Amino acid sequence: MAMRKTPPPTFWRRLSQVLFLVLFLVLFVQTDYQGKDELSGAINLLFRIDPLIGLSVSLTARSFVVLIAPSMFLLLSCFLAGRWFCGWACPMGTLLDASNPLVGSRKDNIPRPISKIRHGLLVIIFVGALFGLPLVGYFDPFAILVRGLTMSIYPAFSMAVEQLFTLTYQHGPPWLNFATEPLYRILRDHILPFEQKIFTLALPAAIILLTVFLMELFQRRFFCRNICPLGALLGMAARLAPWRIRNRQPGCRACGGCSEICRTGAIDDLGRVSNERCILCLDCLQQCPNHHFDFGRAKRASAAASEGLSRRALIGTIAAGIAVPFLFAVRPLRRHPEARLLRPPGARPEGEFLGRCVRCGECMQVCIGNALHPTFAEAGVEGMFTPRLIPRIGYCEYQCTLCGQVCPTGAIERLPASKKQKVVIGRAFIDRNRCLPYAKGIPCIVCEEHCPTPQKAIRFRSEKIENEQGTVIEVKQPYVIDSLCIGCGICENKCPLPGKSAILVTSAGESRHTSFGLNESSYIDPEYH
Amino acid sequence: MDHNMDRRRFLRDAAAWSLSFSLILHWPFPFRIDHAEAVGRPTPPFQTRVGIGKGANYPQLVRRVIALIGGMEAFVRPGMRVVIKPNISFDRPPEMGATTHPMVVRTLAEMAVEAGADQVTIFDRTCNEARRCYHTSGILPAIEAMNSSTIRCEYIDGRKFVQVDIPEGRSLKNWTIYRDALEADCYINVPVAKQHGLAGLSLGLKNNMGVLGGNRGRLHRKLDQNLADLATIIRPTLTVIDATRMLLRNGPQGGRLEDVLINNTVIASADPLAADACATELFGQSPDQVGATVSAAAMNLGTLQMDRISRIEWP
Repeated sequence: MAMRKTPPPTFWRRLSQVLFLVLFLVLFVQTDYQGKDELSGAINLLFRIDPLIGLSVSLTARSFVVLIAPSMFLLLSCFLAGRWFCGWACPMGTLLDASNPLVGSRKDNIPRPISKIRHGLLVIIFVGALFGLPLVGYFDPFAILVRGLTMSIYPAFSMAVEQLFTLTYQHGPPWLNFATEPLYRILRDHILPFEQKIFTLALPAAIILLTVFLMELFQRRFFCRNICPLGALLGMAARLAPWRIRNRQPGCRACGGCSEICRTGAIDDLGRVSNERCILCLDCLQQCPNHHFDFGRAKRASAAASEGLSRRALIGTIAAGIAVPFLFAVRPLRRHPEARLLRPPGARPEGEFLGRCVRCGECMQVCIGNALHPTFAEAGVEGMFTPRLIPRIGYCEYQCTLCGQVCPTGAIERLPASKKQKVVIGRAFIDRNRCLPYAKGIPCIVCEEHCPTPQKAIRFRSEKIENEQGTVIEVKQPYVIDSLCIGCGICENKCPLPGKSAILVTSAGESRHTSFGLNESSYIDPEYH
Repeated sequence: MDHNMDRRRFLRDAAAWSLSFSLILHWPFPFRIDHAEAVGRPTPPFQTRVGIGKGANYPQLVRRVIALIGGMEAFVRPGMRVVIKPNISFDRPPEMGATTHPMVVRTLAEMAVEAGADQVTIFDRTCNEARRCYHTSGILPAIEAMNSSTIRCEYIDGRKFVQVDIPEGRSLKNWTIYRDALEADCYINVPVAKQHGLAGLSLGLKNNMGVLGGNRGRLHRKLDQNLADLATIIRPTLTVIDATRMLLRNGPQGGRLEDVLINNTVIASADPLAADACATELFGQSPDQVGATVSAAAMNLGTLQMDRISRIEWP
């Protein structure tokens, strides 16, 4: 019998990648109502350890955002041991590595300057954050990944599974159901979402995520090497890291294999390792025929020159980062917000909200009513993928506070239910030209039935009116009490008219912008509620 | 063998794959099971006995009231599949009176098992988010605490709604209805007694809406007649009205304790209209003031005249 071999170093790296990926997926699926008002554990943990988000959101907020303090530990660890996170933990990196066998071999002839994109993005993100142009959510790997999963991959997966098991349930013979139903029950209880969700920007979110994977066709870890601003930030910290991959025989030039196999292009033709690019995947340790590489404490800084932007490019990028936000500021939507743009309860005032929101879509993943959807251009292009409530698709559940609980940056404040129930996100208006009791003399008041405010923001009066047949009948006609309406949208959602609802919620009177208020004094009156 | 992908082979493979996938996902040929047998269930003869009890110990109260009308054995025979349909429609705790009290539901489930039921299923199609309603109402925790394999509190499974014709319907001709409710050997309707803006009161007939699929708001246009039409199809073996707490105003959701009257009353009858009629009186209203009950009585679906109802009271 052969001796039991010790596993190769890459085994531990792979194991770590798998464990972190599983943890990521478990947290993702858990980001849902768990039977209690308070969540225990959600995917927001991932964003709270992301120093790119930590720093840019703090720059936006002009103060250190405590929610994302854990990210500083990750940054600190990279000052010590380099970009270990990219190689050992990042779920995006793991998925890209996993897709590698599907892509096969490719010629790496990407021009060198492409890899400077990440530094440019990093500077623009930070300068933009400081001057009011939030960009981090469009390039942060976790935001891209969680958003793509939430808005498209997970709902599509769920739809496919549901349809398959609906087919077997409704048309399959009993012996088949004997096997499939227990399997379906397990999937339903542990993996599938409770309700099938749909999202307005399912396709754009999927395309962005898939693009990251398609770029693998050009180069291994293309995104990580060239685009990822988080990787660029961790790489800058890694420049100083004392613990790193060392080549004990620099300039060995025996085969050049190390330079070829390195998945981030961190090893040059002379076998020197750039710690700014190295993600500690340990392939070189394992594959160098002469075992020249090891991991340990470097005596002095590596010979490879540090990367980055030239001074000219840096100043140009900063200037652009300062100038562009002003172009954005001269559009009317800053003064006249879109009337149907409803923000989740607890959302900060629009400017601060846009700055803090990282477009990760977690609030939409957790929203039990499927009420929150990614905004397209209703809040300006820079507001794309921020959450908005679309009542006709889903309403805000009166006692639910989950979106505020999962928001990783506090763009949606975490509020207790008693407080959340007083936050006005909009007001309902009845369209009497469509509302059945007004327009047709037909009984309805479904809106009144569902209005969750304890004293009913929707009430009714009994009126005698002539209906289409010419008979005078008594119908109950609904009306809205502005001072009680919080804009949850259940009325618009449940209105039984086909197509457009006869009761519409607009953002008028939302409490985060008191200046747009309808009856400002009335909705803060403690006598109500 | 040539393993290279030429154009012909690519087209052939792509066609085969996409055909098989689309067949899996969108099976076009209906070979649906016949659900006629689901509809033609014999209905029990209407009795006009109504049990009415008062007491603060709800399990005991429920047991006493059911005993007044012959005990659970009169409704559940050994081996039966029993459905208990409480009102779980809103995300409100029990004290708000918007949902059936969990102890009432739980006691009925226990009694059904004691009477020999093979399986007891509890469900409702909620108005608010289902999980929140099931938890907040206390019904799911109460059933889960029993840890019984025969008693299950289940969420609605969207695959189980079947299109049902309503031949006797005067306004409603067909609708989608939950299969489990139609196929049950014994269907126990357990509404909570509460005020309702359009219907006046929400009692047994209104509670039947919880087994319907589709856009239920559309039924409001002729709610009274639609509920009566529905009652020709959904015929509870037993109706138990939970008036332990009565939501008097701002129903059917409520949300303020000021609007709730603690009345500690349970009403039970095999006759759904007689049960509703007696519950109506608890609100100080006359049975002919609730439109749905009147419409259903006009279709001979039960007894509404108080002089033909024998009230058996406890204590």
